[in-house]
Amino acid sequence: MALTPETLPRHELNGLPVRVVDSDDDGRVGLEGRVVIETTNTLSIEVRTDGESRVVTVPKSGSTFEFAITDEAADSTKESGTTSKLADTQPGGTERSAPSDSAGEGVAYVTVDGSRLLSRPARRTETNGDSPWQ
Amino acid sequence: MDVAAERIDRLHDLARAAAADGEDDRARYYVRLARRVAERNRLELPRTFRRFTCDSCDAYLRPGTNARVRLQDGHVVVTCDCGSHARYPYDG
Ligand SMILES: [Zn+2]
Repeated sequence: MALTPETLPRHELNGLPVRVVDSDDDGRVGLEGRVVIETTNTLSIEVRTDGESRVVTVPKSGSTFEFAITDEAADSTKESGTTSKLADTQPGGTERSAPSDSAGEGVAYVTVDGSRLLSRPARRTETNGDSPWQ
Repeated sequence: MDVAAERIDRLHDLARAAAADGEDDRARYYVRLARRVAERNRLELPRTFRRFTCDSCDAYLRPGTNARVRLQDGHVVVTCDCGSHARYPYDG
């Protein structure tokens, strides 16, 4: 069970590159960085702007996040199989393989509604099934 | 490997990186989260994780920086900056 678009809501979010694509608060839209701290209701994102880094705390509810997953070369073929299936089955998660950004080497972008991530960090693994239907 | 075991591996890497950057509190947060994931899912923590974290204050240990490692006959003693000792045997 590698980190795939399906398992992402149950997987570790800390350390992942993330972008806020939509939010109730317009000021937060477009924030881009790495998740450094997760709490039940928030994600803290470390944003680096020319050498300086600041940490912004974004509530999970009311925001939509786009996580970038780089697959570990080994299961890249399996990965492409699962992601194409995903495009048909998962209404909440759109996913595009991006040749434009970041050299195009096995990067998958997974868009997740923040409300799907509402859970204590350690408990997401048990409580959120792989199914997009809750 | 299931998701929980992979989370622990990722958290281990994150804790190590945070400790290397001098972000001790953040490293502690990752260590505690990994412990919590392990106990919720009834997994044993990997040996390297156990050896490089402090049982009492959850610090990620970096020998020479925040941990002292000394060999005594038949066992290793690791002393964290918080003062707690961990001992484990070695052969040879
Ligand atoms: Zn300690």
